Amino acid sequence: MAPSRGPNALARTLHTTLANHKGPVHVARYAKGTSKYVLTGGQDRTVRLWNPSSGAEIKVYAAHGYEVLSISVSHDNSKFTSSGGDRSVFLWDVTTGATIRRISGHMGKINAVEFNEDASVIASGSYDATVRLWDIRSQNRQPVQVLDEARDAIQTLYVGHGIIMAGSVDEYVRTYDLRMGQLREDYIGYPVTSVVPSQDEHTYLVTTLDSHVRLMDATTGKMLNDFTGHSIESYRCRSCFDHGEASVICGDENGQVWAWDLLDATPLPPNPPPRVHDKVITWVEHHPTEDGEMITASADGTVKVWRHPAS
Amino acid sequence: MTSRLKRKLNDLGVDTQSSKATENFCLDVRDEKGRRRLHGAFTGGFSAGYFNTVGSKEGWTPSTFVSSRAERAKQQAARPEDFMDEEDLAELRESRQLVDENEEMTFADTEAELRKRQGLEADQQEDSITAALADALAPPPTESAGARILMKMGWRPGQGVGPRLTYEQRKAQDRTLGFASNEDDAEHEAKKHMYARRDTPVLTAARKDNAHGLGYTPGMSLNESLGVGGMKGPSGPRLAFGFGLGALNEAEEDDLDIYDGSMGPRGHSRVAYDALEDDDRIDMGSSSRPGNQGRAGPRASSSTSTQTFADGTPVLKGFVLFPEPVVLQNDQFPFPEIPKGWKPNPHRVWDVDKNKENIDVAMREKGAQPPKTRAEWKESLLSADQRGSLLGETPLPSQPRSVFDYLSQKDRERLQNVRGNIALPADQKVSMPPPPPPSEPQPPYIPGQIHIPHIHPSVAKAALHGFQPFTADPVKQSRYTAFLHYASQTSADSSPSSIGIGPMPDQTNDEFNKELSDYAKSATVFKPLSGAMAGRFTSSKILEMGPNIVEGLHTPDVRTTPEPDENGQIGKEGEEKRDEDPRRGAVRMGMYGPLTREVKPWQPARLLCKRFGVKEPEIEMTDADADARKAGEVDKSGTTTSPLAPLKTITEGLENKPELAETSSSVTRNLANVGLGEDETQGRDILTYERPSMDVFKAIFASDDEDSDEEDKENKHMDEEDHIPYFSSSMPDTAEMSQTEPTTTQLPATAKVTEPAATTEKVDLATFKPTFVPRADREARKDKSSDKKKDKKKSSKPALVSFDDEEGGLQVSIAASRRRKHKDEKDGERKKKKRKEKEKTAEEEDEGMWEEAPPPEVVKKMDMGGVTATPPVLDEQMPVDDAEKPAGPQRGRARAVDFM
Repeated sequence: MAPSRGPNALARTLHTTLANHKGPVHVARYAKGTSKYVLTGGQDRTVRLWNPSSGAEIKVYAAHGYEVLSISVSHDNSKFTSSGGDRSVFLWDVTTGATIRRISGHMGKINAVEFNEDASVIASGSYDATVRLWDIRSQNRQPVQVLDEARDAIQTLYVGHGIIMAGSVDEYVRTYDLRMGQLREDYIGYPVTSVVPSQDEHTYLVTTLDSHVRLMDATTGKMLNDFTGHSIESYRCRSCFDHGEASVICGDENGQVWAWDLLDATPLPPNPPPRVHDKVITWVEHHPTEDGEMITASADGTVKVWRHPAS
Repeated sequence: MTSRLKRKLNDLGVDTQSSKATENFCLDVRDEKGRRRLHGAFTGGFSAGYFNTVGSKEGWTPSTFVSSRAERAKQQAARPEDFMDEEDLAELRESRQLVDENEEMTFADTEAELRKRQGLEADQQEDSITAALADALAPPPTESAGARILMKMGWRPGQGVGPRLTYEQRKAQDRTLGFASNEDDAEHEAKKHMYARRDTPVLTAARKDNAHGLGYTPGMSLNESLGVGGMKGPSGPRLAFGFGLGALNEAEEDDLDIYDGSMGPRGHSRVAYDALEDDDRIDMGSSSRPGNQGRAGPRASSSTSTQTFADGTPVLKGFVLFPEPVVLQNDQFPFPEIPKGWKPNPHRVWDVDKNKENIDVAMREKGAQPPKTRAEWKESLLSADQRGSLLGETPLPSQPRSVFDYLSQKDRERLQNVRGNIALPADQKVSMPPPPPPSEPQPPYIPGQIHIPHIHPSVAKAALHGFQPFTADPVKQSRYTAFLHYASQTSADSSPSSIGIGPMPDQTNDEFNKELSDYAKSATVFKPLSGAMAGRFTSSKILEMGPNIVEGLHTPDVRTTPEPDENGQIGKEGEEKRDEDPRRGAVRMGMYGPLTREVKPWQPARLLCKRFGVKEPEIEMTDADADARKAGEVDKSGTTTSPLAPLKTITEGLENKPELAETSSSVTRNLANVGLGEDETQGRDILTYERPSMDVFKAIFASDDEDSDEEDKENKHMDEEDHIPYFSSSMPDTAEMSQTEPTTTQLPATAKVTEPAATTEKVDLATFKPTFVPRADREARKDKSSDKKKDKKKSSKPALVSFDDEEGGLQVSIAASRRRKHKDEKDGERKKKKRKEKEKTAEEEDEGMWEEAPPPEVVKKMDMGGVTATPPVLDEQMPVDDAEKPAGPQRGRARAVDFM
């Protein structure tokens, strides 16, 4: 392979600001497919559907009784699931805005919720240190399986094809491999706030509360790279790959959006990055298909859409 | 126009004949009665009803009358009011006036009486005539009808009711009632007249509005109330000495003894009515006989020297005062003589007898154990059964059967497990549990000796698994666990040497005892939760090695440095710490990898695999793992929290016990015991079922025209059902296995070998799964082995709809065409597939279920070009990327996959 010519510069021009949330925004997810829409959930107990290019709020989904901490969109964009402080997973119909199901069973607030590939199973990770897997095709109210290996709150989940990854405050990233019947526990050493695998699921990014983002090898558990410079010490922040997985993006508690070269782990210019949010950036997500767009959600109540300057 | 209207109009001065009047008259509407119908908006509007009637426009609605046998009593007669209109009703109301509407019903006698009473207070000499005069001068009160009737009969206010009396009779009545008689009048003159009776005074009892007891006078000293110092004459409280007068004995002026006929200090007292007929009448009440004999006796003396009690209360009539005062029993004893120079010294008494309750005083000075709590005291007591067994009594023969007899064997075992994991021998009769071993009577507490507190073994065992309270202090922790181990042994003798730990060098026996009792207490406190509550909590598994906090003031002490005891558990702790270190150290140095990774077998739920579209992995799990997994899947009630690492080594034997019990009881599943709820003995007696012979079935179900051919078939069918796991060719499964399983896993090598066509009957046990094949196909296959292809194609369809038995051993393969969808198989697998395709053996075709789709174009191309040296991931990832998004990032850029 040719030597790296370096990643593209990060999209740092503010396109729109989605500012209808009252209170912190905990999560912002792109829809699936062409990802024309963005779903955000916040402390104000609502889930909002936005058009990021126009900045218009399309719909408000209000049924939660507590804050919304996690959202996952199904593969066909017809449903999404959300969870939060009310200890149950809500399954929504996107068009009608009504909840299809409310799945209860967790003992604590649910920090992470995720669909599997064909939206037949919902995985939910909770403060009660369990991951529960719910079959939403059947009417069974009991979880299909409870993964209770974690010893502290589950903070993040990833459900891929045949694997389930859970990052927990007990400083472990656990990979449940359904094919091999294996549980691989990777000790990170610091409370894990987000686990984002690359597209091929061979590597994954771990954000921990020691202000590090680590790129780990999923097969061996080795650390491939370590990205520092930002500060994440007490909030759940999410880091992600940019498009093409050439750089790593992470928002930090000062409201800065950091970007590193994936290979040499040097922060991309500008270094240090400008402060774009007033408070901690809770979620960073790059557009899954387009190169020059990403969203950041922050505790200051805004979600910002970033693009390359129109030239 | 009715005559009434005419009359009314005439009254109003309207001439109905004159034409002039008609104009005026026509202005207002009147009904036939001459009443104005319209009053105008300001004068009332319409009058009520329909044209001033009570009816409606429809007219008078007659009331319906329905009678039935059940409720015939409800017939109500029509009253005249029902037919009256408002005028008539108003008239009726007017006529209904009570006669004495304005009269007040006042009791004149009472008023007069009251006035008289007040007057008499001021002037005792006022006689009845004056009172009568005052009555006459006062404005006459309004009188009731009764009073009027009485007055017509000659009664006057102030007099009593009844026929007039002679002078003697009146005097007798006076005496009875206690009126003052003025005897200075000329009696002979007075005797000529008849006199009205004395008025009957009304009893008025004062309201008792205080909270004192009956007969108590507030403000009276004790001596006064006892009558000791009550020599105060008439002004003293009027309490009877020795005799209570009850409710009537209040020291108020209007509560004088009303039965006392004698002359009180006031000469007049109110008197209840006393009907006197003649001189020699029968006395009511207690009045003495008037006149002749009445003067003699006590009465005579009382008239002259009024007998009063010591406090001035007049003595009841008919009673004589006892001459000597009653001496109250004085229960007070005189103080003993105190010798001079004596000083109180309670220790002299306390120390006399050591068995008294103050015995601990001496002990406590030496730092002994505090007295037992109530729970401890209760525990130390023997139950009736225990006493009986101690005395060698045989238990009662007619002991009622316990609930345990009705439980199944399985439940009993579970209960036993719950009760402290004490495995009872299976043949032991549970209904008559042997009397519990008499808890060895607590040895009498001797200070200075080691005294081991007793805790139940189950509690100790549970506490071993539960929260460890002394983790901050390793020495203490080790001693604690040693104690628990000792206590969890059921057959432990109570000798101090068997406990394994002794008092520390600088520890006295008493301090050691205190420590042990602390351990016992914390064991009972920190034993893990049981039952449903346990599943709700997750215990922390992170070892908290906080600073060792020493209570009290800091004194530099040798004890702060941990010293190894005889078990050498300090060394273990240290080892454990060193064990912990590498992982941490690896993290610190960034050496993630094998040091920080732990790989465990994990069994995903079957349904989960189905939903994820992944073949269920076959992992050889240990029995313990399988059990744990089962427990995790079914319910999470078990507290499988593993204790601390050093304890693990110690408690290994303990932990293994329940698992062993479980595994021994778990029997391999087969069809015969699949519904028995893991209790293989359940229903053994009632489910002994023998299949009746075929003739019975035929006799019942088979119709007559069924030929023998059908019977044969049926027979065959039955046979086949008896051997349900039909061992069909398992080739599809093995092939599929080799493709879905990653090549690098620990799968047995035989699974990966693609079998040649000739060995179709050979079953690979590692991957074998029984498959349903419809009977017809099987038979057909048996018959025409040459035409296998066609048959297989036919049979492929039923195989697609085969079902999956969740519980039993029936594992029916999911349709192979679904598997094919998963595109992210490893490249090696794909290549293997390729190879297979190239071979195109008849055997491949034979596996009817496996419908191989044409490979993706990309793969084909790569294969043709022979790009075998490309990295395994790239050829899967990159083309897709490029195909989807030509405007994507440049190829030369670094990616995550570059690390691979």
